[in-house]
Amino acid sequence: MQDNGHNPYSPMPMRIVRAYYESNDYSLKTLELVFDNQKDRETFFEKFNPGQFCQLSIFGKGEAPFGVASAAWEGDFVRFTIQKMGSFTQYAHKLKAGDPIGMRGPLGNGFPLMDWKGKTLVIIGGGCAFSTLYALTKHVHHPQNRQDFDQLVVIYGARTSGLCMYKHDIQSWYQRDDMELHQAIDVPEDDWSHHVGYVPDVVREVAPSPQNAVAVVCGPPIMTKFTLPVLVDLGFAPETIFTSLEKRMKCGIGKCGRCNIGSKYICKDGPVFSLAELNALPADI
Amino acid sequence: MMYILEKKRLNQILSDWAQNYEVYVPQKVENYAQFLPYHPSSIINLSDPHKTRYPPKALFLPQSEVMLKYDSRLGRFEDVNSHQSPRIIFGMRPCDAKALTLLDTVFDTEEYSDPYWKARRESTVIIGLGCVEPPQTCFCTTVDGGPFNHEGLDAILTEFDEQYFIEVLTEKGEIIFNQLQLATNQQEEQIRHLQTEAYKEMEPAFETSGLKAKLDKIFESRYWEEIAESCLGCGICTFLCPTCFCFDIVDEVQRNERVRNWDTCMFRIYSLEASGHNPRPTRKERTRQRLMHKYSYWLEHINQIGCTGCGRCVRYCPVGLDIRAMLRTASIYESEVVHAG
Repeated sequence: MQDNGHNPYSPMPMRIVRAYYESNDYSLKTLELVFDNQKDRETFFEKFNPGQFCQLSIFGKGEAPFGVASAAWEGDFVRFTIQKMGSFTQYAHKLKAGDPIGMRGPLGNGFPLMDWKGKTLVIIGGGCAFSTLYALTKHVHHPQNRQDFDQLVVIYGARTSGLCMYKHDIQSWYQRDDMELHQAIDVPEDDWSHHVGYVPDVVREVAPSPQNAVAVVCGPPIMTKFTLPVLVDLGFAPETIFTSLEKRMKCGIGKCGRCNIGSKYICKDGPVFSLAELNALPADI
Repeated sequence: MMYILEKKRLNQILSDWAQNYEVYVPQKVENYAQFLPYHPSSIINLSDPHKTRYPPKALFLPQSEVMLKYDSRLGRFEDVNSHQSPRIIFGMRPCDAKALTLLDTVFDTEEYSDPYWKARRESTVIIGLGCVEPPQTCFCTTVDGGPFNHEGLDAILTEFDEQYFIEVLTEKGEIIFNQLQLATNQQEEQIRHLQTEAYKEMEPAFETSGLKAKLDKIFESRYWEEIAESCLGCGICTFLCPTCFCFDIVDEVQRNERVRNWDTCMFRIYSLEASGHNPRPTRKERTRQRLMHKYSYWLEHINQIGCTGCGRCVRYCPVGLDIRAMLRTASIYESEVVHAG
């Protein structure tokens, strides 16, 4: 194995340390990766910020971008939850502990945590896009980070209870006294004692206060589209609403050209944008 | 100060350089010109005013390039060396050289420097060839360039009778032209006159002031549908464009190589997402992306137009679409009233 030097296209050699299904329909699988090289591990964690993503690299299958689903304090690993969609993700689902994989990153801006200091965080997620929000919540849970923020409100929706990710951990959040948790599924199920309904409606029902707060929304485009106006109705200013975007990507470093919206590259200038920033961009989504 | 190079000595000087450098020079291939490594038997074609068919960006960002070799079973790989031995590109047109300086702002940024691009840029001396008779498809003067523009060049040649007059522009250029005869003041004056005449020959092709604002304004208008109507989506305008840089990264499974290939925003799959969603589903959005990138987004990035007026997209479009006409139409396009009635 050679030193990657400064070649930003060269992946870091990683190894899968844990691989497990997240959902009962086997569409979501979580991979936890550790670094083969100590130096890579150090550089990664020096730069890593929740909200960033990595290019995972499987030789012979190519590369694809995934949001990081773990916080730095959780350990020396990096977690990704992958939905089975195309040929890359089909293969990724076959990987098991001990298998090698490549990784480039962390890429992108991540959440602007410095700007959010002292504020209440309203975290709203739907489906597997909740993964980066899980990283954010985990980050905030660390006692050293928790004091940087005011209240913590998490609203997380999935189509069914079987599709709820990180179940055991999230279940334990109900016991925490430093946060408010609202989980929702789309249609009623036996033994489900939490919200039932679509995320925008749950947000309206929970009605988080915009007082000294920022809202972060990640989910399928249809959910985001209908949640943003609810937040505006609740009094959140466009500068205090954030979302994370996705596009087809190749390089991840603002060179290959394809992931732009107007003059902004999702990979380099994003993926996290405020609603105010998005409103200033052309409708090319 | 200008040097004189007799045309009949060209082969001599090229083969002298070839001792220490890889030398690239436009050569005749079928019915067009292309930059190829110099060989004493090469058929040099410096006189084609239409430039090489492929822009010389291909010598810095090859159409296809191996980035790493891998072993998929073991998950191991090796980077392919980005080393480049010293080379001279002789006879590059000013529009193509300027394009390289634009692309530097993409590939050689503080945050992420592209090692392949950088190695090739650093080890290359570029000798330009000014355009005494710019062809009809050229419009460099409209987009802040010119037939004798110096940007990106280490020296520039002006052809006159049986001689090339050489202006050395950088230290790199000085090193390779050190033993040539100096031109007289009178000759210099004559050459300057020739250059000025070439500038004068080129009429402005469209109005650039206010163009960006206008394009931004008509982003959602029917204008794009109208101009994209006859587009076939073949992508030649982007592949042959000296400032287009988009690339794809793919694994070539039979060769066990990760390769980057030129890509084009004119193809549907370019922006197609795994979910099936495509932000640019038709040629309308794709044509819009191409024009907006060059005439709006580049300006936001570095305050320069991302087009150098080489005219290849005009010359090679199979259905005769002309970016100059598209932009003239944009300037006078009146947006439909959206909320009529």
